[in-house]
Amino acid sequence: MQPTPIPLTDVDLTNLDYFEHDEAWGMFETLRSEDPLHWQDELTSDGRGFWSVTRFDDIERVNKDGETFTSTQFVNLEEPPEEFQDLRRSILESDGSRHLALRKLLARDFSVAQLRRYEDFLRGLARTSIEQALQQEDVDFVEAVAADFPINVLARLLDVPDEMTPQLIEWGNTIIGFSDPELSKVLVDSDEAQKWTHLPFRNPVSMEIFEYGRQLAQERRGGEGEDLISKLVNRMPDDGIPLTDTDFDNYFLLLIVAGNETTRQAMTLSMKALMDYPDQMQYFLDNMDKSQIMVEEMLRYASPVYHFRRTATKDVELHGKTIKKGDKIVTWFAAGNRDPERFSNPYDLDLSRFPNDHLTFGKGVHTCLGANLARLEIRILFEELLPRLASIEQTGEIERVRSNFVNGVKRFPVRVKAK
Amino acid sequence: MSHTATTDTAAIESAVEFECDAIVESRDVVADDLLVLTLRHPDGLPLPEWAPGAHIDMDLTPEITRQYSLCGSPADRFAYRVGVLNAPDGRGGSRFVHENASRGSTMHVRGPRNHFPLVPSPRYVFIAGGVGITPILPMIAEANEAGSDWTLAYGGRSASSMGFTDELTAYGDRITLLPGDDISAMSAALDERLGTVRPDTLVYACGPEGLLTAVEARCAAWPAGALHVERFSPKVIDGAVDSEFEVELARTGITITVPADRSIFDTAQDNGVSVLGSCHEGICGTCETVVLSGEVDHRDSILNDEERASNETMMICVSRWKSGHLSIDL
Repeated sequence: MQPTPIPLTDVDLTNLDYFEHDEAWGMFETLRSEDPLHWQDELTSDGRGFWSVTRFDDIERVNKDGETFTSTQFVNLEEPPEEFQDLRRSILESDGSRHLALRKLLARDFSVAQLRRYEDFLRGLARTSIEQALQQEDVDFVEAVAADFPINVLARLLDVPDEMTPQLIEWGNTIIGFSDPELSKVLVDSDEAQKWTHLPFRNPVSMEIFEYGRQLAQERRGGEGEDLISKLVNRMPDDGIPLTDTDFDNYFLLLIVAGNETTRQAMTLSMKALMDYPDQMQYFLDNMDKSQIMVEEMLRYASPVYHFRRTATKDVELHGKTIKKGDKIVTWFAAGNRDPERFSNPYDLDLSRFPNDHLTFGKGVHTCLGANLARLEIRILFEELLPRLASIEQTGEIERVRSNFVNGVKRFPVRVKAK
Repeated sequence: MSHTATTDTAAIESAVEFECDAIVESRDVVADDLLVLTLRHPDGLPLPEWAPGAHIDMDLTPEITRQYSLCGSPADRFAYRVGVLNAPDGRGGSRFVHENASRGSTMHVRGPRNHFPLVPSPRYVFIAGGVGITPILPMIAEANEAGSDWTLAYGGRSASSMGFTDELTAYGDRITLLPGDDISAMSAALDERLGTVRPDTLVYACGPEGLLTAVEARCAAWPAGALHVERFSPKVIDGAVDSEFEVELARTGITITVPADRSIFDTAQDNGVSVLGSCHEGICGTCETVVLSGEVDHRDSILNDEERASNETMMICVSRWKSGHLSIDL
C-alpha cells in the first residue's frame, strides 16, 4: 500500500517511533522525491549526523564505489572509538585485498552451485519445522516457523548441538535489537553502553558469543570438519596472512547474527505480504516452477535490512550538495527498493516481476555473503508451507522491533489450518 | 556543521565520481607514437587528489572509454598528465586521442581511481615495459622522496620509443634502461633483481603481458603480496575493451552474441532469459552457472585456481569466453 508521505520538516530518521510503527516508508517517499541527499542530525552524545541516500541509483553507486565510500570507518550509525576499531573490525568493516581474502574463506560455501547440494537436506529441516508448527492452530509465526527453520540450518552449518538453538536465537536478538529495550538490556546509545565501546554494538553479550566461538575454534583447529567453523580456522586466507583471533571472533559473531535474524525477518514479512495479497498467494501455488524468480520479489518487498552506512574518503558533490571527506553516508536499501524509477507500482507485491534487481542484499563487493542461502531457505519454506495450508489469518497485532537498522517483526500471531 | 549545502534544489545532478570536460593545455610527442597530454580543469579549479598508480577514464566518444595512468606529480593539484601510446594494432582509442587532442580542445575525464597503489616499503624493485612506465613515474618519485631504496629496470622496443628517459636520468644509476627489445638483457636484469627473495622489498611491474609473465614467474617464491602488477593490457592502460564472443545457452536452446562491453548475464537478460544476480562483481556467487563446454576466462573472486582450471562453473556477471565452443547450462 502506498504510504502517506511525511512532510520533510517532520522527517527524523533517528526517531525510532516511526520505524516501530512501520511508518518509515512515508519518510522514504518524501526524501526520495524532495531531498535525495538528506542531512540528518543525530542527538546521541557522540553522533555527528549523517547523509542519507534513498534513490536506487545513488545507493547502488555508493555501494559500488568503495574507494570513495569506505567501509573501513564502520557501517552502522554507531561510531566505535578509533582505538577499538581494529578490535571490532569484521569483513563488513574491511575493504581491499584483506576484505577479499577473508570473504573468500567462505564465499565458495555460499555460492549457488555449492548450496544446491544441500537443497534436499534443507527441505527436510523445513518440513520438520512446518509440521511441528501445524500441531496447533494459534501460533506466533515468528517463533514457530520463521525463527525455527533458519536457526536449525545455522546449527547444522556450524555443527553445533540442537540444544544450542534457543541460545543462538537469543544472542542474535540481543545483538540486532541493540536499540529495542525488550530485546537488549544494554541499549547502544545508553550510558551503560559507554563501558562496552570495544565490543560489537557496545553490547556485553558479545563476550558470551566470543567465548562460545573460541571454544568451538579450539576443538576444531587442525581437524577435518566440513562445518563453517572448521573451514574458518583451518583455511589460509588468499593473502597469506592467517586469521587472527580478533578476525575469528568478529567473523563468528557475524555468522551467528546474520545467519539467524535477517532471514527470519524476510520470511515473516513475506508471509504477511502474501496474506495481504491473496491473489499472489494463489499465484505462488500456481507457479511453483518459477519460485526462484518469485522469491526475488518477496525479498524486495520485505526489505529486512533498512540500511548500512559508508564514510566519504574525499569531498563529493551530489544533488547540488557537498558530502565532506569523513562524513557518514547512509544507504537506505528499503527506500531504494520502492523507487518508482526502478520498480513500477513499487508498493504492490507482484510475484511475476522480472527482472527484479533489488537492493535487499546490498550491492558491490559487500553484497550479503549469505544471500544465496537466504534465497534458498525462503524458497524452500514457501514451497513446503503454502501447499500445506488450508487457511492462515492474522489474529492479533504485529509487534515490531524498535530499530532503524532492521525491519524486524517480534511477534506475528496467526491462526493456521492445515490441509 | 560538517557539510555544505551549495544549493537547496535537487536540480544539479552530478556523479558521485568526479568528472569534467578537461582542457588540453599541452600536447607533446615525447617518443615514437607516445603523446603526453597535460589536462586542466575548465574553470581553473584544483583537480581531485590522487596517489601514484592512479588512472583516469577518458570518454573519447560516447562508445569509447579508455583508462590512462596519471604520470605527473600528485603535488600539482591543477594538472593531470597522461601518456597515450598510438598502438598500431589498437582498437582506435589511442589513435582518436592522437588525432583529436589538440591544444585547447576538451577531453571528458572521470576519476581518478587507483587499482595499483604504492604500499610503503623500505625497498622497491620497479619494472616497466614501454608505456607501462607511466604509472611507475610518480611511484619512483614518491619512493625517492620517502627515502626508500629502489631500482627501476625499464625496457622498450627501441631507444626512440622510450619516453621520459630525460627526466629519469636525474635518478642516476638507480635506473637501468634496456632498449631494443633485448629479451636476454631484460631476463638478466629480472634475474638479478628478483632471483633472491627479499622480504623487505616490494615489486611493482607494469608493461606488456610477456614481461609481466616473466616477472610473475620469478616472483613465485616471493611472499604473497610482495608483487604488484598492473597489466599493460588494453583494459588498464590503453583500454581496448574486451572482445565480442558467442555463448550457447544450452537449456534455453539459443546462442547469443555477447558484445565487448556487456556481460553474459546482461546479454542473457536482454534475450529474455531468467538469470539471477546480486553484486554484478563476481563476489556473491548468485549467478554461478554450470559450464558444459569451452574454456572460461575466469574473473570472479570466488573460485580457487583448481576450480578455475576445472572449468565446471563460472560467474556469468564478470567471466568471459577464453577458447573453444562455450556452452553453459542456462
